[in-house]
Formats: sequence, C-alpha cells, structure tokens
Amino acid sequence: MQVEDKTLALLQPLNLTVTAGESLAIVGSSGSGKTTLLSILAGLDLPSSGQVYLKNKPLHQFNEEQRSQVRAQHVGFIFQQFLLINSLTALENVMLPAELANLPDAQARGEALLAQVGLADRLDHYPSQLSGGEQQRVAIARAFISKPDILFADEPTGNLDSKTGQHITDLIFDLNAKEGTTLVLVTHDAKLAARCQRQVEMDSGVLTEKLEFSTPEHDNKTEMSAPQVG
Amino acid sequence: MSNLTPKASSMWFVQSLRLLHHELRRGELTIIFLAIVLAVATVFSLTGFSGQIKHAIVANSTNTIGADRVLRMSSEVDPSIIEKSQSLALKSAKKIETESMAFAGDNMLLSELDAVSDSYPLRGELRVKTSSTQAESVIASAPQVGTVWVEPSVLSRLDVKIGDSIEIGLAPLTIAGIVTDIPDRSYRAFIAGPTVILNIADMPKTELIQPGSRITYKYLFAGENQAIETFEAWIKPQINESQRWYDAKAAQNRLSRILDTAEKFLSLASMLGIVLAAVAVAVASRRYGQRHQSTVSIFKALGASISHVRKLYCLHWTLLSCLSIATGLLVGYGLLLLGVNAIASYLSLADAPLTFVPFLTAIFTGLLCAIAFAIHPIMSLVQSSPLNVIRGFSQNKVARFGWHQLPPLLALFLLLYIFSQDLVMSAALLLGGVVVSFILLMFGRGLMSAGRSVGTKAGKSWHLALANLKRRASENSVQLVSFTIAIKLLLLITVMKSSILSEWEQQFPEGTPNHYLINISEAQIDPLKQFVAEHDIANQGFYHVYRGRLSAINGIKTVDEDKPDEQAANDATPADKEKQAAKKTEQQKSRQGMGRELGLTWRTELPEENEIIAGQWWQVGDDKPQVSIESNIAERLEIKLGDNLTFTLGSDEFTVPVTSIREVNWQSRQLNFIMVFNQSVLDKFPTTSISAWSISAQDRDMVYRFMADFPTITLMDFAAIMAQLNNIIEQVSVAIQLILILVVLAGSLVLIAQVQASMEERERELAILRTLGASGKLLRNSVLYEFVALGAIAGLMASVGMEIAVYILQSQVFNMPGSFHFQYWLVGIGAGAFFVGSIGMLSCWRLLNLSSVTLIRRTM
Repeated sequence: MQVEDKTLALLQPLNLTVTAGESLAIVGSSGSGKTTLLSILAGLDLPSSGQVYLKNKPLHQFNEEQRSQVRAQHVGFIFQQFLLINSLTALENVMLPAELANLPDAQARGEALLAQVGLADRLDHYPSQLSGGEQQRVAIARAFISKPDILFADEPTGNLDSKTGQHITDLIFDLNAKEGTTLVLVTHDAKLAARCQRQVEMDSGVLTEKLEFSTPEHDNKTEMSAPQVG
Repeated sequence: MSNLTPKASSMWFVQSLRLLHHELRRGELTIIFLAIVLAVATVFSLTGFSGQIKHAIVANSTNTIGADRVLRMSSEVDPSIIEKSQSLALKSAKKIETESMAFAGDNMLLSELDAVSDSYPLRGELRVKTSSTQAESVIASAPQVGTVWVEPSVLSRLDVKIGDSIEIGLAPLTIAGIVTDIPDRSYRAFIAGPTVILNIADMPKTELIQPGSRITYKYLFAGENQAIETFEAWIKPQINESQRWYDAKAAQNRLSRILDTAEKFLSLASMLGIVLAAVAVAVASRRYGQRHQSTVSIFKALGASISHVRKLYCLHWTLLSCLSIATGLLVGYGLLLLGVNAIASYLSLADAPLTFVPFLTAIFTGLLCAIAFAIHPIMSLVQSSPLNVIRGFSQNKVARFGWHQLPPLLALFLLLYIFSQDLVMSAALLLGGVVVSFILLMFGRGLMSAGRSVGTKAGKSWHLALANLKRRASENSVQLVSFTIAIKLLLLITVMKSSILSEWEQQFPEGTPNHYLINISEAQIDPLKQFVAEHDIANQGFYHVYRGRLSAINGIKTVDEDKPDEQAANDATPADKEKQAAKKTEQQKSRQGMGRELGLTWRTELPEENEIIAGQWWQVGDDKPQVSIESNIAERLEIKLGDNLTFTLGSDEFTVPVTSIREVNWQSRQLNFIMVFNQSVLDKFPTTSISAWSISAQDRDMVYRFMADFPTITLMDFAAIMAQLNNIIEQVSVAIQLILILVVLAGSLVLIAQVQASMEERERELAILRTLGASGKLLRNSVLYEFVALGAIAGLMASVGMEIAVYILQSQVFNMPGSFHFQYWLVGIGAGAFFVGSIGMLSCWRLLNLSSVTLIRRTM
C-alpha cells in the first residue's frame, strides 16, 4: 500500500487455495492483515502484485466493473457491522443481491430465507427498527439469497453478545451446510474458527496453515498466489 | 490562567485563527459563507437601491410639483384667484394637461400633452437638449410659441428629428428640443404615451379644448413663505369637491407611499430567500458541530478549559461572520451599481447618497443568520464531553421541538418586522408561512411515500433512489418547499406572460370594439356616422360624455376616500389639527362618495350588455329628470331606488332621483357608464362624444387615413392599452424574477448543505452496494434519480399551485372561465427534475468519482 511516499507491505508473499464446499477460517490478531486478505480474495481490493482466481476468473486482471459482476454472480458477504441499507426494509435488503444478479423469484426466496433465520414477521421493518442480532440475521439471509458459490464473513459475531453470537454462528453453519457453499471466515474467536474444516493464521502479513486439506485443483476454487500488497 | 505566560493565555486566539484558515481552505465553511453572503448582499442591494430611488425622486429633487403650491381643477380658474395671488406678489404659472394624437406624415402617436405658460416651471428644473449631439441638457422654460419640447421616444416612434414639424390637433408645431427632466413629471402606471410640451399660447390653435374635453388645469404658485401661507389661508375655504390644492410634500408623500409599498413587497418577498439562506446556515452548522465534536472532546481531554474552547470557537465563528458579511456588502454594492446602471436611462441616481440604513439592515441580517441559526449547534459543540474520547462519538439526533428552535423563530420574526414595520403583518406572515410550508410538506411527504411504492416496481436504480428519498423525507422537505415555490414563481411568470392575457383577448367575440374615439365634437359626429355606415364598421354608436361629480346623496354631502391623506400632509399646525378633527366629525355625518370625477352620459334606450335588475328604464319621451345607476356602485354606496342624487358639473349642480339599477358587463370592452341619465338632464350642457369601433386589420389603414382629417379626435387602439398592460406585467415579472433567482440560489445552498450532511451515510450505502456487486451505472443512476424525483415532485406541486393561482386570477381578476395549462406542468416538472438533478449530481460528484476500492476501504 502506498502511503504518501512510503510503501507499506501489508501481506508477505503467500499461496492459498480454497476448494469448493470447504470452510476456511482465517485467524490472527488485530492488524495482522486478515481483513486485507479477505478483501483481496473477494475481489473488493487488488493486490499490488500476484494473482487471484475466483471460479477460474483472474480477478487481478479485472477492472472494477468486471469484479462487481463477479461478486454479484458468485459471492456473498457477512460483515461485523452488518452493513444493511437503512432506507430499505429487511426484505428489500435481502432481495438486493438477487436483484443485482438478475435472479428470478427474488421476493419469494427473500421471504423464505427471512423465515429460515426466524424473521418471518419482520419483513417490512427497517434496520433501525431491528436489534443487532436481528440485523445480522437479515445480513445472513442477504448473503445466501443469490446462492453464492463462496461466502465471505468478516468477524460476523464481533459486534454481538456471546449468546446472540452463538445463535448467529449456528445459523451461518446450518445454512452453509444446507446450501453447500464455500465459506471463508475471518475471526479472532478461536471457538468460531474451530467450527471450520480448515484454519490458517495471519501474523504480520505472513500466512501459516494450521491444518492441511487443500488439493491443487483449479476448478471451482479460489486461489491466490504470491500476492504482495505493497 | 494567572500562572500562564501571556503567550499561553492568548493561545486560543492563535488556535482559532489556525482553525479558520484550515476550514476555509478545506472548503468546509463554504456553504455557511455563501449563505450569509447571499442574505447580506440581497438585503443591502435591495434596501440601498430603493433608498436611492426614493431619495432621487422624492427628497433630492427640490420639487416634484414645479411650484410651492398647485391648484388642480377640471376647468379654468376664476380670475379673482390669480388677481389675489398677484396682489400678494406671488409668481404664478399655468399648465394644461391632456392626451392627444401627435401626427407626422402617416405616423401617429398618442401622447401626453403639457401646455405650459412662459413662467413655467416656478420651482425645479425643466431640462432640454436642443440638438441630438448635445451631451449636456440645459435648463429651459416653456418652448417658444410654435415649437415643442418632446421626450426622446417621440422622435423614434414618429420617425422625426429636431427641426421637423409635427401636428398636435390642428396646429403644426416644430420640434425645438428633447426634454430630459420634467420637474412635475407624473409617475402614474398608465400614461397614454411620451410627453410633448408646448406653449400654452398654441393651445387654442390645436382646437383640442372643447366643452366636455378631458382636460386638467393646473395653476402653479410660488413666492415668499409668508405670502404663500396668507394665500393658502384665503384660498382653502374656496376649494370645492372637484378641485385639489396641494404642496410638494403632499405629492411627495403620495409618491413615497407608492415606493414604500413596492419596497415592502420586494423585501418581504425576498425574505423567502433570506429564510432559506438561514436554513442553509442552520443545516451546515449542525454538520459542522458534529464534525468538530471529536476535536473539542480531545481538546478537553488534553486539559483545555471550557472557556478556552468557548473563546476559540466564538472567535472562529465571529471571524467567519465578519468575513461573510464584509463579502456580502461588497457583492451587494456590486449588485446595487448594476441596478443603478440598469435604470440610468430612466432615472439618474448618481447624486443620491448611500445612507447608513442599508448597511445597518444588511449587517444585522447577516448577524441574525450567523448567530440565531447556528447558536444551538455551536453551543452543544462547546459542551461536548471529554468522555466522548472513550465512549465514542454519538451522531446524536437533535430533538424535533425544543427551546433551541426559539432563537431562529425569533430571528425570523425580527427580520419580518424590520422589513414590514408592522407587528400584525409579521405575525401573520410567519404564521402563514408555517401553514403553507406545512401543507406543502404533508403533500410532498405523501408524494414521496407514493413514489416509494411505485419505485419498488420501477427497476433497481429507481427503487433505491425513491427508497432513499423517502428515508430522507424530513431533510428533503425544506428543499422541496423551496424548489416548489421557485418553480411556481417561474411557471406563474411564464403563464402570465404568454397565456392569460392572450386567452383573455381571444375570448371576445368578433365585432368587439378594438378602438376607442375620444373628444369628438358635435360637428364631427355626422361625418363619422356616415363613414362607419358606408364602410360597415361595427360600432356602438356615439355617447355624449360629461365630466361630473356625485356631490350628495339624499341631501347628505359625499366625501372622497383619498382626500384625508392629502389634507393631513397640508395641515401641520395645531389650529389645522383642530380643523382636521372638525372635518372628521363632518365626515361621520357625510356619506361615502366615488372620490373621483365620473363620466356621465344620457341615453333614450337601454344600452346593450346592460340589464335592469330593479326599477324601470324610462319610456321614450319621458322628460322627467332621472338617473339609472350601476348595481355594484349602488351596493357600495348604499344607494337605493328612489334616492335623490346630486351631481356637480363645473359650476352647475342638479339633483335627480334613481329610477333604475342596472347590471353592467364590464368585461365586454363596450362603452359602459356608471350613471346614465335621460336626455333632459344633460342635454343642455355642451360636451364632446366618444365611440368604440371594431376595425378589422384590412380596414385599419383606410380608417387611420380618414381619421387624419380629424386630428382633434383621440384614437386609442386597444392593442396599445394591452401593450401597456403587458409592459406593466413585464416590469412586475422582472421583480418576480429577482426573487426567483434569490430563492433558487438559496434553495440550492440548502440542497448542497443537506447533501453534505448526508455524505457519510451516502458513502456507506454506495460502499455496501458496490460490495454486493452493483455496477457503477446503477450507483450513478440511483443518486441521479433520487434528485430527479425530488425535483419532479417539487415541479408537480408547483404546477398544482400555479394552476390554483391562475384559476384565481382568471375567475377573480379577468372574469373568464378557468382553463388548464398542462403544457406548463411538463415545463414545471421537467425544469424541477433537470435543475435539482444537476445540483444534486454536482454535489455528489466527488463521491461518485471515488474508486470503489477507496469507498470500500473507508467503510470496512
């Protein structure tokens, strides 16, 4: 990253492959570069060097519009700050990704998903009328509506109390299992990380594998090689 | 503080200056700065301009009546009066005013005719240029016998130059010069045409004066104060109903009242813009307060005292206000110069000094905007707790109603009072403003909600745009109200200019008179009758016209409504005040009169377009004196059938009973009379006649050529009257346009301030949408459509408002059926959508041009 005239290396060269259907936790302390890695994997940000493939698509060669399209087609998100749009109702927030990807039945699917996360009677409520846990449940429903191939979750329970957090975690893993989605989860919560099939640890931009499951296939997977954000 | 070094104790001063410098450079204060500049510049230029006009017309010109006193009447004065004035060594002059045609070759022009005696003017200056190349005009008196002074437009409109001859009535006269200043110029709205001044000795040659001609005689007197007062005391008891005796002050009072009304109207209308500017200050300062919360908390956490912070921000705000007010005064001065320049050809304001009034009013307005509308956010900013550093910063929403809304409301009231000088009116305007805004607000909210549901089905961009619009409904309301008013003004000007008058003209059936003939002598009637019969010109016949006053009803004298003012201006001494009181009691005993001379006529048959609603029209041959009265006037003056009305015609007086009440269609453009008598009453008085003709376009030249043989007859083209009406509307719309520009500017400032206040929220939303994979086009469109929809809603409400206003004008003023103007609805909605859309896009430009990576990094 270029800050004025100094170059700041946020990530050291690394290699990471995520296979379809896999659940991966990226753990590490604050400022270790977890979220930067997630941004690059999801095509939100670009590495200064290196390659990122998502579903065989070279994200590092794509412009903003193309990456947007990839996200709309293949990616779902859950954030620590929920990031709902305040002017839209719960249902409309959930429907948004489906609409952006031009999927049919957005409304029916949205209603079904909100029912699955236990908010069947809150469809027309605005985010400001919902509690933190409820907002995160809306965000989860939103993440699954476009049937994404891969779901990125950034500290999904970070802003919630432990009981609500537990409930949200259950929901994410249940839906993930049901939909067969690939899950990449960033957290510093060891218990949450432990529920993933595989864990990698970030420390000062260096990635170390905790458990090894990866197979070097390029089909239906996200792969990142030697990204150096600098 | 005592143990601090002097340098440390003034640290707040340095910090404050540094803060101002930073904030100005970063553009964070631009909206507040511009809003105050706008308010100050508007008030300064408006107050300064009208003050200078008043000064130039009223106070500075030594005289507006050309004398010390004037006796105005509709007939020649009794010689004994002139003799008396001469015995008191007073100077006197005579002036005859009338309207007449001026001819030059095939061209003719209706003009104001001033015939003056050699001693005219007694006071003030008549200035003329005797050649068109002459730069400076020279002081002159009456033109020499056989010559005229003319106003510049006479030359162009008759296609003549100095030295050429023109005909006034039957007299050929040579143009000897161009008049530039007339000391007793008339400032009426309706003036027949440009002025021609001739020597009174030429008047008989014109043969314009005939019995019954519409002529005003003015006798001008000037001299030693003592002599004038003696003369006044002697003449006043002799003044009758049809005469006026006045001094310069009375004339000036009348004029300054008109100017005051115009000024009051303009400044109250511009209040709308000033209020919007103040709202912009309020919105921007709230955002300012929130942005600075962290700075203040950190200052305090680091040990700065409340007084340090207070001083720092007070100085910061004071400097900002001073800078804005000073710039506002400069801009206002520029506008003032532009205004002075624009009217330079009508009125020279070069010598009119600027008083302190505009400075004080403008500075006060600026201070009110800067303080009353910003005091709450700044006060709460200073109160920010150092604990925020630990607890985090709340974007605490301000409570909707509370004491903090008192200062702005009081300030508004104060501003209204300064401009209107009227407590009741200020309160009514404030209340009215609140009510109208409330109605518009509710209506606007309804439309925004409706738009929200429509938007759900209208595609992604529209959906997001209208959802945003609804969520920001309360913030949007202010812009909505201001743009609605601006667009409504725009539409009203357009419709007035292009539609109402032409629709009004078109509704008259064929054969409706389009020319009026005035001052027809008895001998001219027969050849004219023959001419219209020969050429089959639709006409209404010829009416004898007599000028007279209604002087008593059932033996009780009538009083004029407009006389007391004039009297008040004249009567200054305590003795006069007593007289005034006596007059008041006398008024209570008297009845309300018409307050002006009436055109009277006689008829044997009931005129067309008239309908008897009470009593009976007289039989042919019924010689008993009687009168028929128009129904509205009868109602207003409480005159019933059988009442005896006394009329004064010159020195004659007669009393007749009312035998019928008529309803008259005033909209028909026919010749109509309030009082119609039977022949025996008026027949014995000599007079002239009038007629109304409908002249087709192809007959026009032929008729005009024929009329050139009757130069003493005034031929008035209705189109010329319409042109004058258009001219007045044009002038009114210039004033409305100024207000319009002001409202649009101030409304845009509010919009930009509002967008800036919502910037963080917008940034966050765009980041979320970007993350979820929305394309750049969708983001741009959703922002664009939000403002386009806001503008379109304002346009729609403005169109409805315009239609209501036009309907009221049509039904109440023009007495014509209402009509819809859908094409202007499109203009209103289109203009609103385009303008608000552009301003909105421009203010979000920076945001929309951020790369999504930057956007996402900022939010996550």
